[in-house]
Amino acid sequence: MLKQIELYLDGELVGSLRVEIERHLGGCHPCSGHADFQRKLKEVLRSKCGCREVPADVLERVRTLLERQPDPTA
Amino acid sequence: MARSQVAPPEDPALRERFEREVLPLLPNLYGAALRMTRNPQDAEDLVQETYLRAYRGFAGFQEGTNLRAWVYRILTNTFINSYRKKQREPVTVPDDDTADWYLYDKLGGSNVEASAESEVLEKIPDEDVQRALEDLPDGFRMAVLLADVEGFSYKEIAEILDVPIGTVMSRLHRGRKALQKALWETVRERGLVTN
Repeated sequence: MLKQIELYLDGELVGSLRVEIERHLGGCHPCSGHADFQRKLKEVLRSKCGCREVPADVLERVRTLLERQPDPTA
Repeated sequence: MARSQVAPPEDPALRERFEREVLPLLPNLYGAALRMTRNPQDAEDLVQETYLRAYRGFAGFQEGTNLRAWVYRILTNTFINSYRKKQREPVTVPDDDTADWYLYDKLGGSNVEASAESEVLEKIPDEDVQRALEDLPDGFRMAVLLADVEGFSYKEIAEILDVPIGTVMSRLHRGRKALQKALWETVRERGLVTN
């Protein structure tokens, strides 16, 4: 069941399997507690490990680099 | 008589499209590059190299396929070919009997208030979460990064890393377990729970 919940939280379950897990989480307190926590863990990873701001000079250097290139060939 | 080779015509529309669709991916690519290389200078070099390769290969990008996954594949390939060789590190995490939901179980077993487990996560400093992710061996780090930070599907990750979906699932599963172990160490060291 926990394996299925991991797939569910990753958005990898579709159709009846997905419905089945949703129904189970609705009625099973231990599983829904686990699921809420794992969801939160994913959120925390995304917010703490993502990049909020690119240093301005990085963007500038990438732009300059591309400007020096000829147009891509079709 | 040798025929002179005629270069294919340059296409300004392709440049415009690249600037419109690929340049805005920079913040995410740079963030991912930081987690891969673990330092800003290498991350910037990696991102520049990725943009150069993507730009030069842009005409070969198949319309109707996933542009974001295509660019991330260039990023990860560039990283693997250019940077990974420099680093000596373990290539796998132990496939031990760590419980699947290690951190939650640990937190539930400590003196945190019921349902306060999620709040403990928020309190872990950003740098500690980043280090926990960065300390995972490459294959595992990339899988967790692409799934949990960048939001790619298993199928997309399989394409980006050029491995079967089953490998993606196993790396995610084991990588997350190792990550939770590392976070639990942090939680204890920082005194975020008392037990």
